[in-house]
Amino acid sequence: MRVIFLAIIVFIRAAAQQVVAPTPEQVGPARGENSGNYNIVNSFETGYRFSLIDGNLGKYRSDVNYRNGPRLLGSNLTINSRDGHGHYFDEIVLNTIGLGNDPYQSAVLRVQKNRLYQYDMSWRLNEYYNPGLAFSAGEHLMDTRRRLQDHDLTLFPESRFRLFLGYSRNSQTGPALSTIQLFDNRGDEFPVFQNVARLRNTYRLGGDARLFGFKLTVLHFWDDFKEDTPFGLDGSTLGNNPGDRTTLTQFRRTEPYHGTSPGWFANLSRDSKLWAANARFTYVGGQRDFILDETAIGTNRFGAAQNRQIVIGGDARRPVSSGDLTLSFFPADKVTITNQTSFHNTRIDGNSVYTQFDNSSLSSNNIQFNFLGIRAITNSTDANYRFSKWLGFSAGYHYTTRRIRTIEGFALPGSEAESQLYEQQNHLHAGTFAVQLRPLKPLSIRVDTEIGRADRPFTPISDRNYHIIGGRVDYRTRTLTLSTAYRQNYNVNSVNISTFSSRARNYSANASWSPREWFGIDAGYMKLHLDTVGGIAFFAGAPESQLIQGRDSIYISNIHSGNIGARFVVNKRVDLYAGYSITKDAGDGRGRAAPAGITDPVSLVFVPVQTFPLSFHSPLARVSVRLHSKLRWNVGWQFYRYREEFGLFSQFQNYRAHTGYSSLLWSF
Amino acid sequence: MKRIDDYFRGAILTNVSRFVSYSGKMIRCLWIVVLSVWCWRAGWAQASPAKSGYIGSEVCKTCHADVWSGFYKNPHYRSIAGGVEAPEHTGCEGCHGPAQAHVKAGGGRNTIPRAFSLMSPEQALNTCLDCHAADLGKMNIRRSEHTLAQVVCTDCHSIHKSTDLRLLLARKQIDLCYGCHNNVRAQFLMPVKHRVNEGFMQCSDCHNPHGAPPPTWRMAQRPRMVDQALVNEEACLKCHSDKRGPFAFEHPPLRVKGCETCHYPHGSMNTRLLRRPVTFTLCLECHNGADQFGTRNNGVPTQTVSHNMLDPRYQRCTVCHVRIHGSNADPRFLR
Repeated sequence: MRVIFLAIIVFIRAAAQQVVAPTPEQVGPARGENSGNYNIVNSFETGYRFSLIDGNLGKYRSDVNYRNGPRLLGSNLTINSRDGHGHYFDEIVLNTIGLGNDPYQSAVLRVQKNRLYQYDMSWRLNEYYNPGLAFSAGEHLMDTRRRLQDHDLTLFPESRFRLFLGYSRNSQTGPALSTIQLFDNRGDEFPVFQNVARLRNTYRLGGDARLFGFKLTVLHFWDDFKEDTPFGLDGSTLGNNPGDRTTLTQFRRTEPYHGTSPGWFANLSRDSKLWAANARFTYVGGQRDFILDETAIGTNRFGAAQNRQIVIGGDARRPVSSGDLTLSFFPADKVTITNQTSFHNTRIDGNSVYTQFDNSSLSSNNIQFNFLGIRAITNSTDANYRFSKWLGFSAGYHYTTRRIRTIEGFALPGSEAESQLYEQQNHLHAGTFAVQLRPLKPLSIRVDTEIGRADRPFTPISDRNYHIIGGRVDYRTRTLTLSTAYRQNYNVNSVNISTFSSRARNYSANASWSPREWFGIDAGYMKLHLDTVGGIAFFAGAPESQLIQGRDSIYISNIHSGNIGARFVVNKRVDLYAGYSITKDAGDGRGRAAPAGITDPVSLVFVPVQTFPLSFHSPLARVSVRLHSKLRWNVGWQFYRYREEFGLFSQFQNYRAHTGYSSLLWSF
Repeated sequence: MKRIDDYFRGAILTNVSRFVSYSGKMIRCLWIVVLSVWCWRAGWAQASPAKSGYIGSEVCKTCHADVWSGFYKNPHYRSIAGGVEAPEHTGCEGCHGPAQAHVKAGGGRNTIPRAFSLMSPEQALNTCLDCHAADLGKMNIRRSEHTLAQVVCTDCHSIHKSTDLRLLLARKQIDLCYGCHNNVRAQFLMPVKHRVNEGFMQCSDCHNPHGAPPPTWRMAQRPRMVDQALVNEEACLKCHSDKRGPFAFEHPPLRVKGCETCHYPHGSMNTRLLRRPVTFTLCLECHNGADQFGTRNNGVPTQTVSHNMLDPRYQRCTVCHVRIHGSNADPRFLR
């Protein structure tokens, strides 16, 4: 009985609102059943999931994507040898979610035998659907599947010498849309179909050794990747812009690339009573070869017949090396000083040979070479001092110097190559300070700050003069958790003709209370305020566009997010869970995209996208009834409502969806 | 008659064979020494008397049967099952210290040399690191944000009451992280998000809660708890490998500043986790030509005169610049 209560308490506390299924309740004896020398705990949840969608199906599939059909919603299996001396294995752990036809599926497996081997596997599948309405009018729709798997085998896991073998695979397949712009810089854009086929395989081999207090780890891996996505268009299309006379009647493109990224990882560490040291070095050499063959037939923007073939071939390389040395000192029980020096060096270079035939005549032939080198060296020192049981401090100073070099090369056949070298240095000085108070055992208070100054940041929106102030108060007992936090992050990056300022303020509070075995409640609230102002320059105007400077891109977001969930257990037989979450961006408070009175055509482009108010609601309820000690029946419902206050580019993506499931959770 | 060079050849061969012979002996001797030390340290030395105060886990079972009865499922049981670890590194006393005084006193929390409920955060951390300091994932634990905030092992892990047998987490990982990072929970409740609540991903797919090495993007200082893909690249590239390159024409901010330049990693109100609801403001905020910025040091290039922002076709930048993450074919990312 005590075991059952323990399990219930654990689940009562686990009240963060997640999707409605699978059911978190447990079935069967918590400690499992013995069979021979093994103890087995298992459960399977099978059922049917349904969905009813009203509104924009594409946006629903992008955000939620649960659909109808039978599922193995979840399963858990553990087998443990009771004396740690199983014949072939001592432990098997297998957890699955959503197998069958859910858009998010995963399986995690561990098999291990003490002192001999440990095998870990994870497999995941994600059905990704995105209509791309807001930014490409649906022309970058994606409906792909990504499958990820990792296999890791450790031999002699508890010995001083261990061997690692690993394999990972990442594939993405499925249909998608893309666009191509033809036949010159001002030509029209056309949607084209692509059949995505990407694959990446990684093989790992390594080992570690512990000798004389040191631990040395060496890992070598080979990463092979390729893409063979074909692009095509059959049949004539007018393109996106009706006023443009460009047409496309046939389009084919193949652009396979194959590459490899072999790499090394080495780590040496030592930990003792007064000091600890860790040295780490990594090297990954990336290389790929590519070719592109594109044929387009149609008419150009002047109405003349046009056929074009583009052939591009080349290669690219990117060796990345990094290393760090971390030294920690413990001069007294209450003091820790850590210093870390690190570097990383990225060198990316690539060249491509471009050949273009217009109407079967060679019209362009050139070679381009690009190099991007990034080298950074950092040094950080952090000190942590616990003055007393209830008071502690930490402080740090961090310094970085970074050099970025770029070479842009260009050559025409029969002429001298031209290249330009650019180089810049950036420096960052940052300091941190924090105070930690624990006046009572369950109460902790922390205030932390960081201030940083960078010269010559890389982009106009990078951190230059920034500061962060954060604070949090937590009160935690066995049945009650109260916490509240505040964090602000301000950055100003202004130069002579451009100003950038961003201010983010984040407030959050959370409460979780489980006073009885049969009742628990959890609630949270967060507000995120963000306002940014960035100087922009662009071309606009009618009939001729002109350079416009001195305007700002403004973005204001006020996101309120709340969630509440309560769980009840009735007669130790019925579990009820009800929850509600709402996320609402109130924007800057305006009632319409372009406030009345704005007539300037340029302002009418930028003002409506200064804010994007919308709301996303999701109530849910779940009932789980224990029919038998080894059988539960579950039913759940979750509603989603997405509503934009004013659409982007006149596109509204609002939807409402009822999703739910009914399942049996059983153990045998 | 032997020629003079035969003498030399013979002498050289003799010396080489002697050297090889001596080297072989030396290597064999070295191996014997190394193996002896290893075997001694690995447990053969256990024949020596146990350190004072250690009485073995068998005694603990007498009173703590409830803890012991399911302990064979615990990863820490492996050291007991192995039977070769020194007493200070295995069983109950491996973590809680020698139990002799505790037994003599007839129990009591204060008589346990290392009672975690009475320890300061640093003491709890150091006790766990006695064995786990050598774990690769914990190499940066001394400087991690969690350690500096005095969030240590026992705040997330429960050795005796965990329902997660692999990592001994006190609760499900998502609940543990959300317990403190309520603001992040709110981000995963946004309409556009990575699928953490759905169970497809976990926080630890991208973050190392024990501290991560310095990032190889941005200014190598922040973010501090983000793990790295393929040992030295941004975590996003672990799954989004098509954005990884190398490309003949890289979009420099990706490598220099990372994916967060344009995307929110957890969740966003905007499509594809973008920082802005539309792409043209996102692009123009960097491509404003302001002095000092960009790879050329004289500003990130502005758009050209052909791009009239009053024409809606130029408000959807990525419809033409489709390969914005990097291209093999076009420096303007058009194909």
